Amino acid sequence: MSNVPVITMNQVSKRFIIRKEKSLKERLVNFGRSRKHKEDFWALRGIDLDIEAGTTVGLIGANGSGKSTLLKVIGGIIQPTDGSVRRRGQLAALLELGAGFHPDLTGRENVFLNGAILGLTQKQIEGYFDSIVEFSEIPDFIDTQVKFYSSGMYVRLAFAIAIHVDPDVLLVDEVLAVGDEPFQKKCLDKIKEFQQEGRTIVLVTHDLQTVQDMCDRAIVLSHGQVIFDGDSVKGVETLRASF
Amino acid sequence: MPTFGPAVMYEVSRARIRSHVTTTAAQERIRRLEKLPFVAAGAPDATLIGGFFGGVRDVLTHRSLLDLLIRRELKARYKDSSLGFVWSFVRPLTMLLIYYVAIGQFLGAARSVPQYAIFVYSGLTIWGLYNEIIASSTMSILANAGLIKKVYVPRELFPLASIGSALFNFGIQMIVLLAAILLTGQFPLSWNLLYALAAVVIVITYGTALALFLSAWNVYLRDIQYLVEVALLILFWASPIVYSWTQVQTIGAHHPWVSSVYLANPMTDAILAFQKGMWEAGSKPTQLGLTATGQPNIIQPVDWPQNLDFRLLVVFVVGLVLVWVAQRVFARLQGNFAQEI
Repeated sequence: MSNVPVITMNQVSKRFIIRKEKSLKERLVNFGRSRKHKEDFWALRGIDLDIEAGTTVGLIGANGSGKSTLLKVIGGIIQPTDGSVRRRGQLAALLELGAGFHPDLTGRENVFLNGAILGLTQKQIEGYFDSIVEFSEIPDFIDTQVKFYSSGMYVRLAFAIAIHVDPDVLLVDEVLAVGDEPFQKKCLDKIKEFQQEGRTIVLVTHDLQTVQDMCDRAIVLSHGQVIFDGDSVKGVETLRASF
Repeated sequence: MPTFGPAVMYEVSRARIRSHVTTTAAQERIRRLEKLPFVAAGAPDATLIGGFFGGVRDVLTHRSLLDLLIRRELKARYKDSSLGFVWSFVRPLTMLLIYYVAIGQFLGAARSVPQYAIFVYSGLTIWGLYNEIIASSTMSILANAGLIKKVYVPRELFPLASIGSALFNFGIQMIVLLAAILLTGQFPLSWNLLYALAAVVIVITYGTALALFLSAWNVYLRDIQYLVEVALLILFWASPIVYSWTQVQTIGAHHPWVSSVYLANPMTDAILAFQKGMWEAGSKPTQLGLTATGQPNIIQPVDWPQNLDFRLLVVFVVGLVLVWVAQRVFARLQGNFAQEI
């Protein structure tokens, strides 16, 4: 029953070319010698993965192991150099909360803008608006420009919008440790509720305890390759052993 | 590096998954997902024809977001100023005043161009549209770096939003222009108005092509934005905006190639078409005071380029091809935006 993949990756590789010059002058001066100023870097190499519906998957690994890149490839933000990523269902990415906020607009205007960026229609946002404000707990400031928000208020509003997208697949990158403790707990409860509802969650974090507590499956990456795929407790042990 | 047997570990995790998916809501969701087809993540594929229409479809499905992005640009621009949109009028009116006084009166262009104010303002209006589309869209991808790095939305939306906000400002300038035309009592109610419409369509077409092309290249080569500034300055003076087409033809009479080279710039054709539509005084003989010998100073109507209709059609078709090429270039380059920004 639960063996329904929502994301399938087939031999996904991503090569970054690191250029050391950016301007026209530098390129002209170094023309012909430009090989020296380029460096290939494989952030991902031959990743084959299926992620099933209803699972919570933790992507873990050392800094620079490619986990955030993998998450971005799944989200479609980065196009892989080779291979294909296919997915189905509504996807929402909590890659960085409030990325779509414009500081000069009010909270209300930003709810509509950010909701649309995350894939909601105007009607849906209107319907969810009160619930979003309620979850964020900042009704007094909703008509204030967000540049005057504290970082906690900013993140509260952003998280409140993101969870109203009704995603089938939720991509989360290191954003759970936000807000004060009660709000963090509220966020974790919401994530657990999401799990109960059969949503798929792909999580990138360095907080290995969270992975052990919440994830059904851990994927350990090292130098752009999968070195372990399976039970989250064993995955965390593998990662710790490789440090 | 220790490698483990993923297959074995997989079985363990599957046992745990089952424990999660117990609620009926979850089962329903999964059953629904099972029926959905797979789609490729990210932008539509890069085939030459299908990719273009895929890109167009992608933008169309996000048109409410495009609408919000345009509003955001407009709202954020004058957000904390007390005069707000009044500033949109101030700049073009100042330019009109400067050109009218400095070039029209002091340098004497108004003595050979009838209704110089209307003439120069129509040129400034259509050029302003082109100028703003290119200048703001070139920066549009970089200006939205935060979003592009974090969320997938079709990236074409950002240069298109710049075009949208430029069109809004153009609309404001058009109101001023039409008011001025009404005040001087020469509303050009004729078929020539269609030329003005054609000019706007051509400017939008070329603006879209250049917006896509320049905004994408500017991510990889930051010099583009400075090159564009200089190029726009040169092109402004290479188009019949503050001086008239008749003055170019005077030189072209001795050197015919001057006129053909001059007309090869698609913006020249667009500006001439716009003037033909908006500036009625240019299409009929006018008396402008007296000459030095006391004879009436009769200005002959502008000798608009031959086959202007056909020229506009060709320019438009070339523009459409350029839009297609630019979209393909954009699609190719946008795959790496997220790291290159």
